[in-house]
Amino acid sequence: VTTEDNEDRLLRSVALQNAESIRVARQRAEQQAEAALRERANLLNLTHDSIFVHGINGAIRYWNRGAEELYGWTAEEVVGRIAYDLLKTVFPASLEQIEAEVMRADRWEGELVHTKKDGSQVVVASRWSLQRDEQGTPAAILETNNDITERKRAEAEARESERALRKAQADLARTTRLTTMGELTASIAHEIVQPLSAVNTNVNTCLHWLEDEKFDLAKARSAATRAAKDADRAIEIIKRVRALMTKSEIQKVELNMSDILSEVLALTDHELRARQVSVNSELAATLPPVLGDRVQLQQLMLNLIMNGIEAMATVAGRPRKLTIEMRAEDTDHVLAVVRDSGLGLDPEKADQIFTPFFTTKPEGTGMGLAICRSIVEAHNGRIWASPGTPHGSVFQFTLPTKAVGTS
Amino acid sequence: MKDLQPVVVVIDDDPSIREALQGLLETAALQVELYVSPREYLLRKPVDAPCCIILDVRLPGSSGLDFQRELARAGDRTPVIFLTGHADIAMTVQAMKAGAVEFLTKPYRDQALLEAVLLAIDNDRARRESDEAVAGVRQRLETLTPRERQVMALAAAGQSNKQIAGTIGVGDVTVRVHHRQVMRKMRARSLAELIRIAEMLKNNGIDV
Repeated sequence: VTTEDNEDRLLRSVALQNAESIRVARQRAEQQAEAALRERANLLNLTHDSIFVHGINGAIRYWNRGAEELYGWTAEEVVGRIAYDLLKTVFPASLEQIEAEVMRADRWEGELVHTKKDGSQVVVASRWSLQRDEQGTPAAILETNNDITERKRAEAEARESERALRKAQADLARTTRLTTMGELTASIAHEIVQPLSAVNTNVNTCLHWLEDEKFDLAKARSAATRAAKDADRAIEIIKRVRALMTKSEIQKVELNMSDILSEVLALTDHELRARQVSVNSELAATLPPVLGDRVQLQQLMLNLIMNGIEAMATVAGRPRKLTIEMRAEDTDHVLAVVRDSGLGLDPEKADQIFTPFFTTKPEGTGMGLAICRSIVEAHNGRIWASPGTPHGSVFQFTLPTKAVGTS
Repeated sequence: MKDLQPVVVVIDDDPSIREALQGLLETAALQVELYVSPREYLLRKPVDAPCCIILDVRLPGSSGLDFQRELARAGDRTPVIFLTGHADIAMTVQAMKAGAVEFLTKPYRDQALLEAVLLAIDNDRARRESDEAVAGVRQRLETLTPRERQVMALAAAGQSNKQIAGTIGVGDVTVRVHHRQVMRKMRARSLAELIRIAEMLKNNGIDV
């Protein structure tokens, strides 16, 4: 019995010793792990980013100093609380979608809006990483959040001021356009009167051939066909005028500068004739398309043509000639040249003439060429002026071709 | 000559207007010629028929008013109807003074234009007839001897045969013979007609 007792005691003692050493070993391991964790947590405390860890259910487990500073709550206050409820998180997509993404890719990035302890809102660039346990089961999510509220505000302000500037420019351009159109009213009226007169005559002619005693269907039909064609022409002119008058958002589309030129010449045709100005267009057979706003580019050509007409208003003793050339300058740019035979240009003032309110004309607003420059620059082009030989001025501008403009 | 088909010349650089006017004028059974510019018109062979021109004042190359002057200088008296997009008073006055038949503003009334055209063609026909008459009378005048011409001038001035005999120092009978020859050659049936013929010649710058 004694022997058995001894054995029993011995066994028990060994077991105790083992248990003790296991306990000690486990304690040591736990201490080491905790130290490592603390060390990592301390490291995380060093960063200015706010970092917190929450479980899959959203309960906060870890909350670094950056998070304390950003949101105003201490770690003790928030551990165990549901992160989304605490921060009243506004997600860019539904939480389900984001969680699904995290489960799939182990990570997610996006912008979130959080509400701080003081009730104010903060926009953060948020990066989520999924932690998995040894079995690969999702265990926790680590969120790193950067405050981008200021940057967002600055961006919004920049966008707003850019928009306001664009709007001011567009309003000014439109005003000038309307002024120019005002000057052209008589000419435009004439452009419309021509086809309308023809419509009227053709309709009367048609009615004549429809009368019983003179009935001639072929002649009536041919007069009616002419009337329809002339009415179309009047409508086209009105459409062009209306397009120039309306206040529309800038819309860049693929277009050909030679089309723009012929549209503007159609409107200025009568004005040119009334002022005894002959126009000579030298257009390259193939002109690469540009990406631009139709109305703005029409205004650009309109301003340059009106500028040329006005520069030649007092010219006597030599023909009033406006030469317009358009060609591909290189593979990336279209070049337009507008030459007049007017009074010319002081080479020293060649740069100033594009400045707002700079004018050499008694009735000039000084805005025409300034608007030309703002339009060309808005299209990433360049405009310049130089004296012509033997007289007159030369205005040139380049616009990137569509291929360059889109890249 | 009265049977000649009248011709209306349209000079306008706008194809719509040219074609519309052609259609309209054809309803009045008028023959129409279309020209884009005065230069084109001047290059054409003149037609021997009553004619009128419908002209746009603001034409490429030369203004319509300049063209009107040019026609007058060249001795072309074809009546001109002006058709313009926007006329000012000065332009209208200038054109009418230079002998335009009518000055119409676009949009014109078709009826007004047709009336102006018919009036212009009547004027031109009358002018052509009178030109023809003057040419005939002038031809006949050339057949008179210097003495007969002298007698005609004095008779047209209202002198009696007796007075004429005194003035030129020949006998009454001789004057009467000359006078009869004048009446026959000039195809005047009465002294009144002879006076009218002399007047017509004078109006065309010909002294008897």
